[in-house]
Amino acid sequence: MNAIPQLFFDAMSLGGIYAMAALGIALIFGVMNLVNFAHGEYIAFCVFALIVPSTDAVAVMFLGKAPAIVLIPILLSIGAAVAVASEFFVFRHMRNATPVAMMISSFALGFVIQNSLLAVYGSRPKAISLWPELNTPVSIVGASVPLLQIIVILTTLAVVVTLALLLKKTKIGLEMRAAAENFTMARLLGVKANVVITGAFALSGALAAAVAMIMATQTGVADIRMGGQIMLVAFIATVIGGLGSLPGAVAAGFLIGAASVILQGFLPLEARPFRDAFLYTLVIVSLLLRPQGLFASNSAKPRV
Amino acid sequence: MSKLGVYDVAVRYGKVPALTDVTLTIEEGERLFISGPNGAGKSSLLKAICGAVATSHGRIEVDGDLLTGRTPEAIARLGLTMVPEGRDIFGTLTVEENLRVGTGIRRDKSAVENDIEEVYENFAILGERRHANAGALSGGQQQMLAIGRGLMTNPKLMLVDEPSLGLAPNIVDQVYETLVNLQKDRGLTLIIVEQSSARAARVGGRMVLLRGGSVVGDGDAKKFAESDVLNEAYFGTDKAEASS
Repeated sequence: MNAIPQLFFDAMSLGGIYAMAALGIALIFGVMNLVNFAHGEYIAFCVFALIVPSTDAVAVMFLGKAPAIVLIPILLSIGAAVAVASEFFVFRHMRNATPVAMMISSFALGFVIQNSLLAVYGSRPKAISLWPELNTPVSIVGASVPLLQIIVILTTLAVVVTLALLLKKTKIGLEMRAAAENFTMARLLGVKANVVITGAFALSGALAAAVAMIMATQTGVADIRMGGQIMLVAFIATVIGGLGSLPGAVAAGFLIGAASVILQGFLPLEARPFRDAFLYTLVIVSLLLRPQGLFASNSAKPRV
Repeated sequence: MSKLGVYDVAVRYGKVPALTDVTLTIEEGERLFISGPNGAGKSSLLKAICGAVATSHGRIEVDGDLLTGRTPEAIARLGLTMVPEGRDIFGTLTVEENLRVGTGIRRDKSAVENDIEEVYENFAILGERRHANAGALSGGQQQMLAIGRGLMTNPKLMLVDEPSLGLAPNIVDQVYETLVNLQKDRGLTLIIVEQSSARAARVGGRMVLLRGGSVVGDGDAKKFAESDVLNEAYFGTDKAEASS
């Protein structure tokens, strides 16, 4: 077995998941200075949407039974719909609230979603099988890599490229970038706040759905708490990347994924259980050296 | 009907009043300077007109359309554009992208490309640097870009907040020359916040003097420069208060 390509694929696929989750957070922070802690629950919601509502330990696939060509667009739409609905029912009424108040309400919204799932599905983690054949390893440049890892890496690249093209080449993309940098100024130039914010939430929710499908396939588990764990890492990635900076979120997502995999691979055996302590030490060092983030953005400045 | 009417307008930030009972009208094609000391409410007045801050009292009308309660993006659609203090250009966007942000509201899409070329003719440096990040431009170039960006919304009424802020005097001359020429070519109605009343007098136009959130003088900018109303506005004597 060749260790270096193996590490590379592990790092890229883990980083890709973090990058996509971080993008979902950064998109919304960019346009409305909201750190949306409910984002992790969008992911959990999408995972549970795959299975038949029940409190049994083994899940019966519901949406998950559909062929990929049907399932993928439907789940992306569900993610987008949940995110847009949360904007419509919660965050739209808080446009003039302070960022702290918005953040607290995003926590509250997250708990509401989590507890709704709890009420319907029960608290026990469930085994699910979404595309289990993707976990069969394939041999590539001397490394044995689950097909899913390759798909994750390709998906991340496709998502990043598509998003970049959307932001760069379309009218709403231009308006979103302008709004992310200076929302008031964009509105003074006629950019419609509701359109841009709804668009950002829809994209963010679709990204959550993409992460959900990957996590469901990879872990084979639907767990009420799965959203919170990835949300934490993704949030850290957006901070390290520079809050509101989309390239920063992607880069930092990959960095954290890579650091995590490298630490796992090279730490002495006794230290490996404490990998996260080393990882977060690196996070602190990064923030001490560049408190504004690796790619600072203007939208983190207070607005007048 | 006046181009712009501001009637009994008040703005407050929490409990702090920024404007109290300001009334003024401006006719189509006019050039109006708003001057006064720091904290007089000059920027608040402009922000109230373009919808960036809410009014707590009074009415603002453009061509007889009531602006109160409209969002900034709706007000922009009535042909009013704002070139804010400190320019607020989008530094991470290219020069050309900055110019395009405001074109979404235009119905005459076919004229957009032409108008961009026209901006580049007026401001050659912007044309040379059209693909550069706007954040890399100098202060004077950013001011030109902010004006060009405002023009791209095809406005009838342009509000310019402190265009001379932080610029070298010769650059300020250029900015004003540009504004005056644009006004001539396009028949723009222009409202400019200018702290230097001497500068306003040199450019020429009507001047409204604010102090403590109220209008304390209204007339020809040149006449102001020669009178002692300015001193009263800036340093505050009873006479200035009485004349308001």
